[in-house]
Amino acid sequence: MNALEYRLIQKEKIAAWSDRWQSEAARFADSHRDLLPRRITNAQLYGLGNVVRSARRYADVEKFIKHQAEKAGRVGRLDVHGYWKDLETALGKLRGEAQTLLKNIPLPVEADSRQALDALHRELASLYVQHLVAHSVYWTPDEEEHKRRER
Amino acid sequence: MSTQDFQEIALRVALSQAIAGKSDEYDRRAQEYASRLTGTKLDKTQVRGLESLACTTDKVSDITDWLKLRVGRDSGRERWAKDGVGRDLFAELDGLRNDAQKIAAALSRTYSLDADQERQVHLRLCREFLKHLAAHFEYLQAEQKR
Repeated sequence: MNALEYRLIQKEKIAAWSDRWQSEAARFADSHRDLLPRRITNAQLYGLGNVVRSARRYADVEKFIKHQAEKAGRVGRLDVHGYWKDLETALGKLRGEAQTLLKNIPLPVEADSRQALDALHRELASLYVQHLVAHSVYWTPDEEEHKRRER
Repeated sequence: MSTQDFQEIALRVALSQAIAGKSDEYDRRAQEYASRLTGTKLDKTQVRGLESLACTTDKVSDITDWLKLRVGRDSGRERWAKDGVGRDLFAELDGLRNDAQKIAAALSRTYSLDADQERQVHLRLCREFLKHLAAHFEYLQAEQKR
């Protein structure tokens, strides 16, 4: 399989994976609904989205999430700390998904399998976060709305 | 031409026919959404933006995520969140999955379908729906301005 064929098949597989996993990311958002939007703000979620989209390696995403968890832990915000730890676990598990996808698509001869796995893991994490952010914002009245209701 | 080539072409034609049939059915519903959207502060670039996204993406989830974000960000409830129009449209597009299932099930009796076919039909149905929606919206808005 040449690089172009590989990229095309991979693109189709990733699209199908993304549509399948949208509900899983929505479940994650729903299970942490109580933290939104006060403890976990929309700005933090958009920040996460930006980091995941621009990261070159999965390790950069992991580093950001660990940092968020540590920051929350230091100031005793245990619920927020828990959110980031849960997210770290959820995104970490996507490595298994990336491995499964790679098994079904033979890599081009010249490709480095470790690099390909990391790139795919990062891409799946990016799609998961896209769904997570969209669903979190969708069901969460923003701060302005909160203030209006309080008045 | 081999039998396999012939089968692939026949499947493509059958798919196009089934999707075109559904598309005509969607016209009325899409017009209703367009009418509701003209009562918001949305302009044609935003509705066209959704249509363009649908035409270029390979994922249904990109369309629904886009809509979810717009509804969530509309804190003034004057655009996609006005009177629940965005949420209803989201449910409508998600519901097109049932039509995709029916089309795939009917075609699978005659043709051998790819495992991803149903999802791809769903995507094409979303495109059809949004194509009607954008056209009606633009027409209704122009009428309003006259």
